[in-house]
Amino acid sequence: MAGPMATNTDHIIAARAGAEGTSARAAGPAGKGLASGTVTGMPRSAMPPAPLGTDAALLTLAQWFSPAFPIGAFSFSHGLDWVISAGQLRSAAAVERWIAHVLAQGSGRNDLIFLAHAWRGEDPAGLDTLARALAPSAERLTETAEQGASFVRAVNAVWSLDLPPLVYPVAVGAAARACSLPLEATARMYLHAFAAALTSAAVRATPLGQTEGQAILAATSTLIDRLCKDTLDTPLDDLGGAVFAADIASMNHETQYSRMFRT
Amino acid sequence: MGRSRVAARLRDGRSVLSDLYQQGASKVLVPRTAGTALTAVTLNTAGGMTGGDSFTVEGQAEAGAHLVMTTQAAERVYRAQPGEVATLTCKLEVGEGARLDWLPQETILYDACALSRRLTADLAPGARFLMVEPLIFGRAAMGERLRSGLFRERIEVRRDGALVFADATRLGGDIDAQLDETAIGGGARAMASLLFVCDTAEAQLGALRALLPATGGASLIRPGVLFARVLARDGYTLRQSLLPAIERLSGAPLPRTWML
Repeated sequence: MAGPMATNTDHIIAARAGAEGTSARAAGPAGKGLASGTVTGMPRSAMPPAPLGTDAALLTLAQWFSPAFPIGAFSFSHGLDWVISAGQLRSAAAVERWIAHVLAQGSGRNDLIFLAHAWRGEDPAGLDTLARALAPSAERLTETAEQGASFVRAVNAVWSLDLPPLVYPVAVGAAARACSLPLEATARMYLHAFAAALTSAAVRATPLGQTEGQAILAATSTLIDRLCKDTLDTPLDDLGGAVFAADIASMNHETQYSRMFRT
Repeated sequence: MGRSRVAARLRDGRSVLSDLYQQGASKVLVPRTAGTALTAVTLNTAGGMTGGDSFTVEGQAEAGAHLVMTTQAAERVYRAQPGEVATLTCKLEVGEGARLDWLPQETILYDACALSRRLTADLAPGARFLMVEPLIFGRAAMGERLRSGLFRERIEVRRDGALVFADATRLGGDIDAQLDETAIGGGARAMASLLFVCDTAEAQLGALRALLPATGGASLIRPGVLFARVLARDGYTLRQSLLPAIERLSGAPLPRTWML
């Protein structure tokens, strides 16, 4: 069944042409914010949760979605570990397509929907229950539940929030709301961090080099842009996806003999 | 258009019919079978579904009863007129200590079909629910390819009122091309979802895994909730993997309609 990869470009990747130069979007304004910010030395508990100006908001988002933010993102591969060990992705182009489909027709789009609903103030507990129920495998449930719990621990401690443990996209939406961070920027950074984590996992599990990994990540920026434009007003009834093989990969990862990742 | 409802209750150690309703193109047959379960076979006398059709199927296994629901034949989802979508709503209820096996035969999606379906199952404590939903993308034997179409599915299973499993599928556009993608179908033209919810589902994980092909996977998502997906080249190959897996989880041979 794991036949050769189709070589034609499809609707998702087709948008890549002409996308060059958009991936550095967040860097400019964030830099400006750094210059205009002030160091107050305020004790943690006295830090105001809101509101933040645009520049400060971008810095907060850059911090939340940095690989150094302690959610353990590096230990999860979303089933990619199994796909690669099964020899199904043999080129940078194949890795890029796999990630693009997981973003557009898998967890990427669904997470944005949950994030947006939480940001708008819908009951986080109900969203959390639905998101957990939609996990297609034990490892995918672990991935979203543990990253969410770690994220909540960090934002509660540093930004003085009072969130209960929630799956990752619901936690991010609820935290962004509490900190008055803008929805669209939060969603873009969230999806970019997801794409970056998958790319990083692929680079570690294949002979792909760091530069090829960065090229893959840069290539997803058009898709991330489109998904953020199209998805943030989507009702929960339109949740859904079609990455059946990626779901199966995460199931089979449970019994993989030699595992580089927890999922 | 059609609507049907069937309910089973326990009487003297056997499951018997307690309610039966059929309207429109939906018919329900209750064949005499060996064993103590009640088997209900639904039949779409319209021969298939097309855009704008609306079908509702309700099934209930009352406390302690065992209801097996299946279909007389594969369900064909024909080409729809632009903007028209067929809907299928399935509402299942499984009482305390009851069993319901939802074992429809394949749904075959024709080119340019449009189907949105929803299945909800409400399980009481100690209930046991087995569900299989086999799906075939295009009539491969006729060389048909799903160059366009729409398929949406939402499944929600509640145990004692709490949502314990959901699945949401959303396919549209050139489905055939998408199925060739590594993350989506890896070249498959048939797919099945298999769900087993019961207090002792854990015990079946190893056996189920051993029965699945390399293109399938199974996971105990949470205690009592065992889920599997299987991809296959075509409907025939899918059946070969599904039959032993379903028989293993149901502990009984498949309904006779599957064998015809």
